[in-house]
Amino acid sequence: MASQLEDRILKDLSNGTAWLVVLATVAGSQDAIHGYEIGRRLADEAPEGLSFKQGTLYPMLRTMEAEGLVGSTLVPSNEGPARKCFTITTEGRRVLATWVSAWKRTGRWMNRVIGDIDATR
Amino acid sequence: MQHVDLIAEYLLQLQRELVGVDAAVTHDALVDAEAHLRAAVAAGKTPAAAVDEFGTAADFARAYAGAPALVDPLAVEGAGATRSGSLAADRASSRTGTLAMLAHIPVLGVWFQARAWSSLFYFLLPCFVIALATFVWVVCVGSLALGTLPIIVGVPLAVFLLGSVRAICLAEGKVVEFFLGVRMPRRVQPVQVLTPLGAVAQIGFWQRIRCWLTDVRSWLSLGYLLGNFFVATGLFTVFVTLVAMAFALLAVPVGTALGVPVVQMHGDDAEVWLLWQRIKPDANGTVHLSAAQCLLSGVLGLALATGTLWLARGTGWVYGQVVKAIQVAKPQAVAQRFAIVQ
Repeated sequence: MASQLEDRILKDLSNGTAWLVVLATVAGSQDAIHGYEIGRRLADEAPEGLSFKQGTLYPMLRTMEAEGLVGSTLVPSNEGPARKCFTITTEGRRVLATWVSAWKRTGRWMNRVIGDIDATR
Repeated sequence: MQHVDLIAEYLLQLQRELVGVDAAVTHDALVDAEAHLRAAVAAGKTPAAAVDEFGTAADFARAYAGAPALVDPLAVEGAGATRSGSLAADRASSRTGTLAMLAHIPVLGVWFQARAWSSLFYFLLPCFVIALATFVWVVCVGSLALGTLPIIVGVPLAVFLLGSVRAICLAEGKVVEFFLGVRMPRRVQPVQVLTPLGAVAQIGFWQRIRCWLTDVRSWLSLGYLLGNFFVATGLFTVFVTLVAMAFALLAVPVGTALGVPVVQMHGDDAEVWLLWQRIKPDANGTVHLSAAQCLLSGVLGLALATGTLWLARGTGWVYGQVVKAIQVAKPQAVAQRFAIVQ
């Protein structure tokens, strides 16, 4: 039971942050960026022990596109189907700024609350 | 020895996981997964590693099918249209709450359904205009291609036409999705290619052209753009007629109440027949209707306008499904392209 709860909390934590990092990665790219490239950059930056399934990117990108946070263009590819490449929109930048601000506030609060706790004691 | 392409196997598994999900969403999910996995292999990863990093087909299908398929900017048709958790839906929900309730009124609720109005508008303007423009394009370029076939020039023109109709249909799908609310594919039909195990798929210029020529969707798209002109013209005529008649009938009581002569007729033998009653104009040519006749005209106009909105809604749904059937690739065809290679 405890391990189930542990898994669920880790999953929720990962889900919550994934939206922010995906949008931030799109925003940080100079050119339109494909899902694979986003996944690769996130995997490179991911901390040790945190697995990130790249397939989860696409539903997120699809929702972001539907919400107008990112725009897309289809780029023909010689290696397979045409790739959908994403760029951030003005609305996306506004939402990202809100999320980043909320994340920083939450981070400061979390650090204050759990910063001095020695969980192994 | 026979090997199974891991990516093809993954796509088949994904396709099985997506059974029952909207065909356009399935199409997009398969194309997204394949584009990612092929890109990973092209970047130097093994198919097994690419699939492992991507996640299981079940998880991907669950996540993909669970994501909002369509943000409906016109949604006012109840809770189903305003999904919780959707930013656009949340913004829209407060201002559309009353409309959503009114939209549930039996029969007359259609007056408060944005989808009915957008469908009616679609058939009155964008549908006809787009159909006319694409018909002219197909006929002009097609005729030019056919005419110049004997001097070879027609061959690249014909190929160009096929490529263009695929692109036009994809773009038109977005318009149909916006106005009619039917989810359309957002990925182009992939190019069919057989790749030896472990090799990076390479799709060349000629292979792409061969795909356009052999893909039934290209020809269906071409036929659709030709045939749609007649369908769009027919629908335009029907809806313009119905809207004009409804307006005229509704204008009678309003005009009469305002003292505006609604019907003017001139000539010695001028007369109006309304519900089996012959009405003659006065010396000035103005036709005077009784209060009962005005009321009846108003009721008829309201009924006709309501019927027109229902008809637009229903026709929009049917029209959208037909366009989708033509444009959405059969998921089977997508996933089996790489079936088994030696």
